[in-house]
Parts: sequence; C-alpha cells; structure tokens
Amino acid sequence: MTDRTTAVSVTAGSTSTGGDSPAAVSVIVPVTERPHDLAWLYRTFSEEFVAAGRPFEFVFAIEPWGRTLAESLDPLMASGEPIRVLEVGQTVGESALLDAAASVCTNSIVAMLPAYPRVQPGALEELVEMVEREGVDLASAVRVSEGVSPLNRIQNRLFHMLLHRMGGGGFRDVASGVRAMRRSILEDLPLYGDFFRFLPVLAAREGFSVVEHEVEQHPEDQRTRVYGPGIYLRRLIDLLGVFFILRFTHKPLRFFGLVGSFFALAGGAILAVLFVQRMGGRGIADRPLLLLGTLLVVLGVQAIAMGLIGEIIVHLNASHSRTYRLREDLPAGAE
Amino acid sequence: MTNQPDVSIVVPVMNEEANVVPLVDAVREALREALSWELILVDDGSQDRTREVADALSAKDPRVRLVALARNYGQSTAMQAGFDCAHGKVVVTMDGDLQNDPRDIPLLVEKLDEGFDLVAGFRIQRQDRFFTRKVPSWVANRIIRWITGVAIRDNGCSLKAYRRELLSGMRLYSEMHRFIPALAAATAGARITEVGVRHHARTRGESKYGLSRIFRVLADLMSIKMIRSFRVRPLVLFAVLAAGSALLGTLGVAASLVAIFTFQPTDATSMVFPGIALLWFSLAVFLLMLGLVGEGVIRQHRVRGLKILPLTRMRPVP
Repeated sequence: MTDRTTAVSVTAGSTSTGGDSPAAVSVIVPVTERPHDLAWLYRTFSEEFVAAGRPFEFVFAIEPWGRTLAESLDPLMASGEPIRVLEVGQTVGESALLDAAASVCTNSIVAMLPAYPRVQPGALEELVEMVEREGVDLASAVRVSEGVSPLNRIQNRLFHMLLHRMGGGGFRDVASGVRAMRRSILEDLPLYGDFFRFLPVLAAREGFSVVEHEVEQHPEDQRTRVYGPGIYLRRLIDLLGVFFILRFTHKPLRFFGLVGSFFALAGGAILAVLFVQRMGGRGIADRPLLLLGTLLVVLGVQAIAMGLIGEIIVHLNASHSRTYRLREDLPAGAE
Repeated sequence: MTNQPDVSIVVPVMNEEANVVPLVDAVREALREALSWELILVDDGSQDRTREVADALSAKDPRVRLVALARNYGQSTAMQAGFDCAHGKVVVTMDGDLQNDPRDIPLLVEKLDEGFDLVAGFRIQRQDRFFTRKVPSWVANRIIRWITGVAIRDNGCSLKAYRRELLSGMRLYSEMHRFIPALAAATAGARITEVGVRHHARTRGESKYGLSRIFRVLADLMSIKMIRSFRVRPLVLFAVLAAGSALLGTLGVAASLVAIFTFQPTDATSMVFPGIALLWFSLAVFLLMLGLVGEGVIRQHRVRGLKILPLTRMRPVP
C-alpha cells in the first residue's frame, strides 16, 4: 500500500486472483452530469489498461436524453473495441444507472468512472491494481492537485466534516466517483436515490475493506464548482439519510424515540410550569405557552408512534433477512 | 458436519483473546462425557488476536468452530450468526468472559428435556459490583418483567438453552438478545423455565457494558411491548392512543365553549383553547392513520406467506 493511501476500514478477505495475468475489469460510466465526449473518455482511460495488459470492458449507461452522445461510440464498437452501451428507457438517476450497468458486468472487478474527466487517466488502473493485489474490497480516489479552488476545498471539507459527524468518519473525498471494487459489493449493497455517492461509506459500514487512494485531479475538474441552493439542500438531506441508515436502520425507535422524548419532555416541562402557576391562582387560558407546550407533546407522541411502526416493520422484515456479513467463508458443514 | 451434536454452544466473543483458550478448555472439561457438542465462537469484530486464537483452536479440534463477522455488529447479531450456523438439537448461549460456568450446561439441557422450549439461567451468587451492575440489573429485571409479562428474574444472564426449532423462526437484531425469552413467548408461545446457575467474577479482559445502555434498553423494551402486544393488530394500540388524544381534544373544545359562554374572551383566550383542541384532534387522526399503515404492513407480511407464529406443536407426537 502506498503512502498516498488511507485505510478507512481494514479487514481481511483478499481474493487476489493469483497468477501473473491481470484480472479483467468492467468499467461502468454512468452518463449523467456534465458528460464529456464519450469516445475520447474511452480512448483516454482505456490506454492504461492496454499498457498493463489488463482485459477490460467499458459499459456506458445512458438515459434517453444521452442517446446522441453515445453515437460517438458507434465507430469504436464497430471496430471491435470492448464497449457496451446500456440505454435505459427513462431518466432514472445515477444510482439506478450504476445498478443496471452492474447487473450486466461479468468481470470480478468493477470500476466506476464519471462521464467527464475528474482524475488523470492512470488513476483507474492504480485503483484496480489495489483491489486485485492488495486485498482491498473497494478503492476510492481522493483527488489532489496544487491548483484546487479554495471554494471547492471549503465545500469539500464542510461536507466531509458533516459526514464525519453523521457517522461516516475517515473519508476525504467520497464524491470523487472514481472507484474500483469487487463485484460482490454491488451485489450486497442496494443502490438507490443519491446513495451511490456514499458507496464507500456504506461499504465500510458493511464490513468491506475500503481505502481511499490519492490520485492527481484532472485540470478540467479543478474549476470552481458553485451549485444552486437546491443541490446543497439535497446533499444535506442525503447526509441525514446516511446518518439514519448508518445508525438506526435496525432500531428506528432509538432515533424517533430520542427525538420524540426530547419534544415530549420539553412540552411536558412547559405544561408542568403552567400547571404550577395555575395552582398558584394565575390564569393560563390566554397564554400562548399553553399552545406551545401542547404542540411539543403532540410532536413527541407523533415521533415515538412513528418509531413504533418502524419497529414493527423491522421486526417483520428481520425474520427473512440476514443482517450481518461474515469475514470469511464458514467452516465446512456450516449452513 | 455429518452427525448432529446434542448441543451447540454459541459464544459471541469480542476482544477476549485471553479468555478463549480457558473457555474452550472449560467446555471440554465440563461436557467430556455428558453430551456430544460443538462450540461456535462468533468473533464480533475483535481488534485484538481473538480471531487468530479461535482459528488455531478450531484447526486442532473440529468441534470448535469459528464464525468471524466482518465488523462489530453487537451481541444480538453475533448470537444470530451463531444460531444460523448451529447444528445441535439444543442451542446454548453463554458469555465469552468465563463468568458463566459450562458445568451448568447439562443441567439446562436436562431441564429442557422435561418439555420446555427455553431454559434461562439465573445467577445464584452474582460476582459483580453492587451499585454499578447488581442494582441496575435488579431494577431492569423488574421493569422487563412488568412490561413484557414474562417472569424471568435474570434477563442479563447469557447462559440459556433453547430448543432449536424455537430459534429457527426468530431473527435477532438491534439488541434484542436480552429479550429472547419475551420474544419467544410473544412470537412462538414458548414454554419457559429457569434454573439457578453458577457465576464467577471476571478474571481477564474488560467488561463491554456501561450505564449508557439504559436509554437503549428502555427503547428496546417499548419495542418488545409493541411486538408482544400488538404485532398482529397494531391498529388496536394506535386506536386506543387516538381515542385518548381525541378525548383531550374534546376537553379543549369544552374549555373553549366554557370560555366563550362564561367569560368575555379576549383574543388570546379565544385562540388558545381551540388551538389546543385542534392539535389533539390532529394527533388522533395521525395516530389512526399510522395504525392503518401498521395493519397494511402486517397484511403485506402475511400475503408474502411469512409465518407470524413459528412454533407450533402437535400432540400426540406423530
């Protein structure tokens, strides 16, 4: 493991293919955000695999609006390059594209590459090499460069600081989107919504060994990124979702109970004060505080009730799902 | 494994490298002649050499098996992983810190043979600190007994024996291992009894428990109560709560009417009581809707053909 690599969660479980010939890799390119010329992308990023003698295929997952973009790949496909284009029938988002593409990949190592250059071409081979040779389940790129914009750096630090607080600590660049992993990760982790972004966090949580590896950022990715307020709001909502998934998926009452208890106790305290004042002869019928106290108690009861329903759902689903991953194969004879 | 052993002993271990060898020796010594057995050590993401030590023991004796979890999942999930791998007719759980005594295992199995589905050990002379362990435990057991209705005097004792069929229909998650008797009674109508067992002071390693678990236990208790009482008809619980809420709303309306007809209401007075009444009525409607959602969830579960009551008996045995 090089000096540029940070182990986020390390477990055993190397499944190195052994032998001298490099393992084959499937590279998934979900064509969503700011797509570049796909033919250029293929030629640029496949060069390193060719140089390393590694068998590979590129799977471009495309929504209906991106069909014209895929036309640049037609000549390459016609000339026998290992390219497949997966067109989905409607706009489904990046997670669903990745999920659909993963289902058609056959190689044991899968890499993900955004549809525009975020890292230098050599990075992908480095990540794949780590998965193949170093017993890592998922290697995720951390973009580094001298010329990174201060605004980008602040945004990135703030995001990862919040992620750390939410329980996904130790990561520096989950949003890079450039990753290599064993296919079993995609089989074990359901991808939906915007959670593809947090794949390394969720994989580490499930006990896979995940490392972040520093790679050089592509100049095209270095420009200052400023998004609309809606994007920032969505990221915050994503973080809240990850927080809940990481900590409370199997115990919803702990979350809703805590929130509900806070509201109910605050409301109860207000009502208790008003009760004491009423006993002391002071009227409370015209006190808006009475309304606030009642509102807080009502909110508390609602939150706790939501948690109870959540517990019923978890209890019923727990009866037919395995909630753990084993570190290695069970001894002979195990079920 | 070709022959089914009499007993599978499931022991979750985390950072117990000093205890694993003495534990295996103690089990061997205790069950030498009495029963055929397998010992399943479930490594719950240890940071020390527990896994390596257990692996070496497993290589020497095929009756000792190691199940290594990918990370630290907690005791309930570790136990479930052990149950999933157990082959024995009877499954016994115990702690990996040697505070339980394996010599009590034959006693538990014997009791199980009298026709029980679950035999829970209770520690006769508990060797723990009085104020930080015994007193909270005594209070917790009282509360658990009161809420769950299952009269187990020592829920914290891990030494328990289960009929295998009982566990096959149960999935542990969160921190439900403390409430297996209550869950077993609630979901399977299990016949449960207790026997007194030995308890030793911890000599090696560190305790993994702290007082911080009080809130977690309380939340789990509420959950168990919900599952025990309303898992088949959640609407009943929510309808009762909704009725209470609606009653408070009605009182709010009554207070509003009294204020309007008795006093000369100010603007504030004419807002507060109707507002309170509306809040309680809205809560009642919300709870009713939530109860209906619960009913829908239960129905979906049944439509998928999943069993609500996993343990059934037929007599005479065919």
